[in-house]
Amino acid sequence: MTGLQNSKGLETAERYYAQYGARAIELKKEGRKVIGYMSALMPVEILTAAGVVPVRLKGFVDEAITKGDAYMESIICPFVRNVFDAAIKGRFSFMDGMVLPHQCDSIDRTNDVWSSNLNLPYWHFLNVPHVTDGPSIEFMKEILRVFIGTLEKFLGTKITDAAIAQAIKAHNENRRLMRELYDLRKSNSPLISGVEMMKVLVAAMSIPVDESSALIKGITEEVKKRTAPADGNRKRIMIIGDQIDNTAIPESIENAGAWLVADDLSIGGKIYWPEVDEKTDPLQGIAERYLRKLKIPTTFVSDGDTYEENLEARFGHLKQRIAEFKVDGAILFIYKYCDPYGFEVPAMKSYIESGGTPVLYLEDEYSTSTLARVKTRIEAFLEMIA
Amino acid sequence: MGDIKYYAGVDIGSTMTKVVIVSDRIETALIGPTGPEHRKLANKVMEDALSQAHLKFEELSYVVATGYGRINVPFADRQITEITCHAKGLYSLLPTVKTIIDIGGQDSKGIRIKDGKVINFVMNDKCAAGTGRFLEVIADSLGVALDKLGEVSLQASRATPISSTCTVFAEHEVVNQLANGEPVANLIAGVHESIATRVYSLVRKLQIEKDIAITGGGAKNTGLVKALEAKFGSPVLVPPEPLITGALGAALLGKEKCERAILDGYNPTRSKEGLQEAKLFS
Repeated sequence: MTGLQNSKGLETAERYYAQYGARAIELKKEGRKVIGYMSALMPVEILTAAGVVPVRLKGFVDEAITKGDAYMESIICPFVRNVFDAAIKGRFSFMDGMVLPHQCDSIDRTNDVWSSNLNLPYWHFLNVPHVTDGPSIEFMKEILRVFIGTLEKFLGTKITDAAIAQAIKAHNENRRLMRELYDLRKSNSPLISGVEMMKVLVAAMSIPVDESSALIKGITEEVKKRTAPADGNRKRIMIIGDQIDNTAIPESIENAGAWLVADDLSIGGKIYWPEVDEKTDPLQGIAERYLRKLKIPTTFVSDGDTYEENLEARFGHLKQRIAEFKVDGAILFIYKYCDPYGFEVPAMKSYIESGGTPVLYLEDEYSTSTLARVKTRIEAFLEMIA
Repeated sequence: MGDIKYYAGVDIGSTMTKVVIVSDRIETALIGPTGPEHRKLANKVMEDALSQAHLKFEELSYVVATGYGRINVPFADRQITEITCHAKGLYSLLPTVKTIIDIGGQDSKGIRIKDGKVINFVMNDKCAAGTGRFLEVIADSLGVALDKLGEVSLQASRATPISSTCTVFAEHEVVNQLANGEPVANLIAGVHESIATRVYSLVRKLQIEKDIAITGGGAKNTGLVKALEAKFGSPVLVPPEPLITGALGAALLGKEKCERAILDGYNPTRSKEGLQEAKLFS
């Protein structure tokens, strides 16, 4: 049972979104081990190859942080604090273990706070490097080997190269399927709304890859049957940021009379475009995807000879997506105290604007308590570009 | 119904509710305090404005609501943000202006306009420093009426430096300075300079272009306007009634929208809600 036979794709996505982790709980009852993780830097192929259920942790924007603040200072990013608060309150009690990849200081400097307070049977800190040169690729492969070793020990099974190669194929296929669903947003009007898409993205990160692929396929079938309403006057918006994992912001955009048609979020566009090279050694392929192909601001890129070339290497994909999805305006949404994204804001903003696309830069909490003022800015931005 | 068409703008700010009714000219403008029940009060200020203009609610062709309470106006046909409305209203009064500073009761903002259209904006609504709220707190602790702050500050021999940026701590600082014998006028001048510094660092992000104008309650404070002029290194224009630019812009945008609709061949209809008092919690 995949949970899919009885209900339609979008309804299933809606349920997985609303009851986060529901599928992991079912699979745990069937005897599967569940491993939680944070960040787009998690090499999910390894977890899939190990046969565990990977669940990317999320926060809950409607809930105030009540317990987490006793463990983490307010200088830690509001998203990480919210997720930790949810974890410490038992929202992810289905986890048998967790992996924290080294994305930013808010994650890596709180590793011991997580591990000692959650006290799970399995724990791993994945020390992902932050530069993209040759030695870093070698380092990445080495830490992947260490990680695989700890998982094998915990599970008492061998994770073979063949299993990893198989998992790579499955995840690449999953990424292709998700991009096909994204394609249905290119029409005017888009066939699937930004709010619906958010639910699909969140659902997809809470289930095993084969189920995710089946779910996305089903949704694509359903959505393809829709006819685009003739509503050509709405502005087409793209959102850029890290883990936005709730419908509050997409709703604010779409209720204000625009379409959210594309994103470069760490649970969306950022992870579904780059694939792992299937022709090379599996660990080499994984190392290259996570270090060089994933465009996230904690990874320092200096491939070019000039500043302009570096900008192109770092943000070129944004211009491509803006063109492909006919984006009229970009919203850059950064969480408060997020250094890595904060550092990049001026360069990213001017790069996108140089292509003629207006940018709204928002810096805010991971909470719906401040939504009214975010809405005013979004509405004013839409009025400005109308 | 005569040939003249009337349009209303309702601006519900954090502290004041403003209504402007326009035809080919400004018919009337009215300002009242914003209560905790925005919707009830919007209704009341609108009634007063209508009676001042000798108009009935049914004679209005279109009503646009703006300000942070804009969603709480049940009889409005449309909501438009205060950013767009301020730009429109101010441009109609002072067409040479390219940068607007708005100092409201609980926020401050900067708006860049080009040919009457917004091209960029910044807002501070997270922190009381740099807003009218800061002035209210200080006026209260110094025992000076809010509308006398400007006048009193002009008698200052120097502006006492206020080092705290936080309103709560700045109030402590001012009270301590007062105990040390610092003249009230100097302290108020210091507070104006502190707000001007905050506002300047906010608006500076917009690549300021002249002319510069100020709207909102802050514009009524001559001392603050002087402090801003010193910071911006340029004269800061003050419209005749700086509180109503948002409501005026809202009315004008409604007018524009209706006239365009008629040109496009259809008749804009008013929303069905009359000017009855809105039910709360509905």
